[in-house]
Amino acid sequence: MKNEKRVKKVRRIHVENGLNKDMQEKLVILFVIVLLAFAGLTVRLFLITRDNGEQYKKQVLSQQKYESTTIPFKRGEILDCKGNKLATSEKVYNLIIDAKVMLDKEESLNETMTALQTCFPFLNMSELRAYVNDNPSSQYYVVSKQLTYDQVSPFMEMDNNDEEYPNIAGVWFEEEYKRVYPNNELACDVIGFTGKDNVGNYGLEQYYNDVLNGINGREYGYLNKEETLERTTIPATDGYNIVTTLDANIQQIIEKYLYQFNEENKNTAREGNGANNLGCIIMDVDSGEILGMASYPNFNLNDTRDINKLIGSKKVNEKGMIDYDAVVLTEANINEELSNDDEVYRNLNYLWRNFCISTTYEPGSTYKPFTVACGLESGKLTGQEYYTCNGSLQVATHDIKCHNYKKGGCGTLSVKQTIENSCNVSLMLMGRQIGADTFLDYQNTYNFGLKTNVDLYGEARTDSLVFGHDTMGETELATSTFGQGFNVTMIQMITGYCSLINGGYYYEPHVVSKITASDGSVVKNITPRVLKQTISAKTSAEIVDFCIGVVEEGTGKSARPAGYMIGGKTGTAETVPRDRTNYVLSFMGFAPADNPQIAIYVVVDRPNAWSQDQVSFATKLTRSILTEVLPYMNIYMTEELTDKEVEELEALNITIKRADVEEEPSEPEDTEEKPEVDEEGNIDARGGDVTSSTPLTEEEMQSDDVTTAPLTGTVLNMETGEAVKENDDEVIY
Amino acid sequence: MKLFTRDPNTEKPYIDYSLIFIVLFLLGFGLIMVYSTSSYEASMSSIVNNDAAYYLKKQAVATAVGIFMMIIISFIPYKIWSRFGVIAYATSVVLVMLVLTPLGYEANGARRWLRVGISIQPAEIAKLAMIIFLAALVYKMGNKINTPKGFGIVLASPLLICILVWRITENMSSAIIIFGICLVMLFIATPGYKRFAIILVAGVALGALMLFAITKMADSSTFGFRGQRVLAWIDPEAYASGKGFQTLQALYAIGSGGIFGKGLGQSIQKQGFLPEAQNDMIFSIICEELGLFGGICIILLFVLLLWRMMIIANNAKDLFGAMIVVGVMGHIAIQVVLNVAVVTNTIPNTGISLPFISYGGSSIVFLLIEIGLVLNVAKSIRF
Repeated sequence: MKNEKRVKKVRRIHVENGLNKDMQEKLVILFVIVLLAFAGLTVRLFLITRDNGEQYKKQVLSQQKYESTTIPFKRGEILDCKGNKLATSEKVYNLIIDAKVMLDKEESLNETMTALQTCFPFLNMSELRAYVNDNPSSQYYVVSKQLTYDQVSPFMEMDNNDEEYPNIAGVWFEEEYKRVYPNNELACDVIGFTGKDNVGNYGLEQYYNDVLNGINGREYGYLNKEETLERTTIPATDGYNIVTTLDANIQQIIEKYLYQFNEENKNTAREGNGANNLGCIIMDVDSGEILGMASYPNFNLNDTRDINKLIGSKKVNEKGMIDYDAVVLTEANINEELSNDDEVYRNLNYLWRNFCISTTYEPGSTYKPFTVACGLESGKLTGQEYYTCNGSLQVATHDIKCHNYKKGGCGTLSVKQTIENSCNVSLMLMGRQIGADTFLDYQNTYNFGLKTNVDLYGEARTDSLVFGHDTMGETELATSTFGQGFNVTMIQMITGYCSLINGGYYYEPHVVSKITASDGSVVKNITPRVLKQTISAKTSAEIVDFCIGVVEEGTGKSARPAGYMIGGKTGTAETVPRDRTNYVLSFMGFAPADNPQIAIYVVVDRPNAWSQDQVSFATKLTRSILTEVLPYMNIYMTEELTDKEVEELEALNITIKRADVEEEPSEPEDTEEKPEVDEEGNIDARGGDVTSSTPLTEEEMQSDDVTTAPLTGTVLNMETGEAVKENDDEVIY
Repeated sequence: MKLFTRDPNTEKPYIDYSLIFIVLFLLGFGLIMVYSTSSYEASMSSIVNNDAAYYLKKQAVATAVGIFMMIIISFIPYKIWSRFGVIAYATSVVLVMLVLTPLGYEANGARRWLRVGISIQPAEIAKLAMIIFLAALVYKMGNKINTPKGFGIVLASPLLICILVWRITENMSSAIIIFGICLVMLFIATPGYKRFAIILVAGVALGALMLFAITKMADSSTFGFRGQRVLAWIDPEAYASGKGFQTLQALYAIGSGGIFGKGLGQSIQKQGFLPEAQNDMIFSIICEELGLFGGICIILLFVLLLWRMMIIANNAKDLFGAMIVVGVMGHIAIQVVLNVAVVTNTIPNTGISLPFISYGGSSIVFLLIEIGLVLNVAKSIRF
């Protein structure tokens, strides 16, 4: 029975009849099971959407990459007046590794590594491989920074060559700009340098930081109304270029001789540099444009932190000043002396300062023309006075000595001769005539104690370093007349001096003449700006005459370059403490004498010599510089040349250019660059010279005055000629 | 059961147009979705020369080949294949073994492909081979299948190929699908439910035991990557950057799509977050772009497809044809259910493609061959 039942229940299979009833039933059941499964999954889909829909929607959006990439701007260039690049920004490339992409494909790793090794042989490949293996998910790893285009271009070519190198992957280059100074040390103090993130330090780089900098561009993504990601690029705006009044050739000449001075004088009386500081400024007399400005010791703008540049300098104390008995840094002791970063940076900061605008000092006798001009202009002196010097003058309780004290004084001198001989006693006597109030008013007019507002970062404040009406007594007035007791900066001195020479116009000194956009269009022209008139044209003409006398007859003879006549004034200032060993030597002059175009100011701060009080340190340096600068500027020679001078010029490869020798018109020449210019070029240059150097007819008339005016001066000169000749140098006290 | 029979007066060969229409619709839709999901990544990839249509082109070629094969097969009387059961079995065993030889090659970290001019997955061939082999076996055994011995033989026969696919090609999901197809065919061919209930309960119990072991194990690496996949299944957020990443991104895609989706081609997730979205995870992008609505429509199309197959199986002229259709039906049903279950994180993540829609040449060609077989079985229906 049991068996029968079972047989009844299990239907027989007829293979040629398709599915039997049992099977059909089972198939329906199977279909229902599948339907149920689908129903279940549909419910699941519904639940995900209902319960987590909003959360997941946000999650999806939050995963999107909105982070923007910065497109760097190019910082503007700094050019000299002829368009030479003093500072520029080069595009450089950071090598970035994306390990994730590199490991994505099996063949990529080896091929990419081999390519990297070929193109960048300096890379440590085993280290790089280890990094990629250890950090397979890393997408941003900076392998090498600031590679030049030449360095990266071979790799870029390989990467783009898909036929030979199809599997290079996971390497890309991030672009940025690097500040480059093509001339390394040249004009380092004036230019300044740029650190990270385009922040300028010192000089033009800091003063014009905002002008030089542009605006970074951006590439960023955002969600639009339909919640889809869109990417937008805002291009970078490059910074403006600045065109300076500097002339790289003049700058080069100045720096060459500062360096030469240092080489000749270093390690003489003591170990170290040829002088604590050397400074020189050359300025256009009729515009306040700075043509050259340099100091020594200098530094390399492309390697500003090179402490080897400190060797030879004196160590700076904790206040950032140089002590009287400061240690000289030498190769042997530099690591020991500069044991920590603070000390290193303190010394480097001192090095990076621009001596010409940041350092204050007592000017000494170069101030005397200012005192005389003050007396003449105010009417307190007539110019016809005579002064007698017995070697010293009692002021209050002190005896203040003249440099000729040992020889019994300078004798009786005219006003002009007091300048030529640099007689302190005479100047003190003039001071008594002028009086403290008038003296101080004029000092203020000359801008001493005030900033010149030169467009360079770091100009020193001197308002507390000059006397006021309440602090100037008899002694202070006496010493101030010959430039001791108060402090000035080089830029103050030469700017004021230009006004004494050019007819009294005080121009604001400036270095930048033009700001241009990256496409070359002019954004701003900076024209010369007269701030005030310090003295009258008549007084100016007299000062010019006196200063020519200094070079012709007086203390400044050795400053005269071969073939030219110049005017100027020497200075020998004793520094504190007054122990008659440390001096600042200077020469401040103009050239050419008959038609002043440029002013030059050379300062030798405590030369490395057994006897420092030799003003020839400054005058000879001036002479060397002018010997090359004046011919370079196409200024014609007016003076006879001795055989020795001809030899000297020939040795320097300078062609003798004379305005008066017509049969032999030698060509104006850019000392090194252009060996020869034809005769026509010469004539053109000559014509251009006259008009360009003195654009104002008014000033031309004034310079005519200079040559004819002080007839009396020459007569008196001859009388006291001998006294002058005996001293090339001057001594104070 | 009258519902499933046709008017006996009809003498023309039966052509199931609705089945053909559904299959063609799914293929067309699949091509659109493959392009939608792959174009972004392809355009970004230098490996495929930044060709946005790279995957679409390859898939279109495979689809054309598949349709051609389907038409050919649909004209060959299926009865012929009953003689090839053993050969089919043996061939698939050999092909799977060939993966170990230099002919085999590796992609995406698994050695699953054979390169013979074109690249094919032996596992896909094995699925077809098993359907033919088992259909022939059931057909030949006749009533013997009702004996416990017959049942045992049918149940044991796919084990060899399953183990080979699992171990050699490290493709457990294909092994499970093959075994699933066999179970479905066996379920239809043999009477009674008790044995299947036991198998089902045993399977569930084993799964639960494994799950328990994996979650309690301190060191999750004991069970290899599968153990981690199970852990990621339980809490995908905790493994968001590892094994749970793909699952979580798929869930984000589904959830962010809402009812009607972001619009065709508007998926955000396919832009790098769901890698190779054109493969197994394509359903999540369908849900993101076309919403719950689009996803359910696709499921309904598969339901219709399976329903048409059920009718063909019920009306097949003989047991061999019926069993072939049952096998194909089982194959498609298992893959669709498992694929959607993986995408919705209903089961642990395992690589199963969505039939006719996911990118994959071997899969589409062999699926269309199976459809060709079904069409031929349908053609032989006489009333």
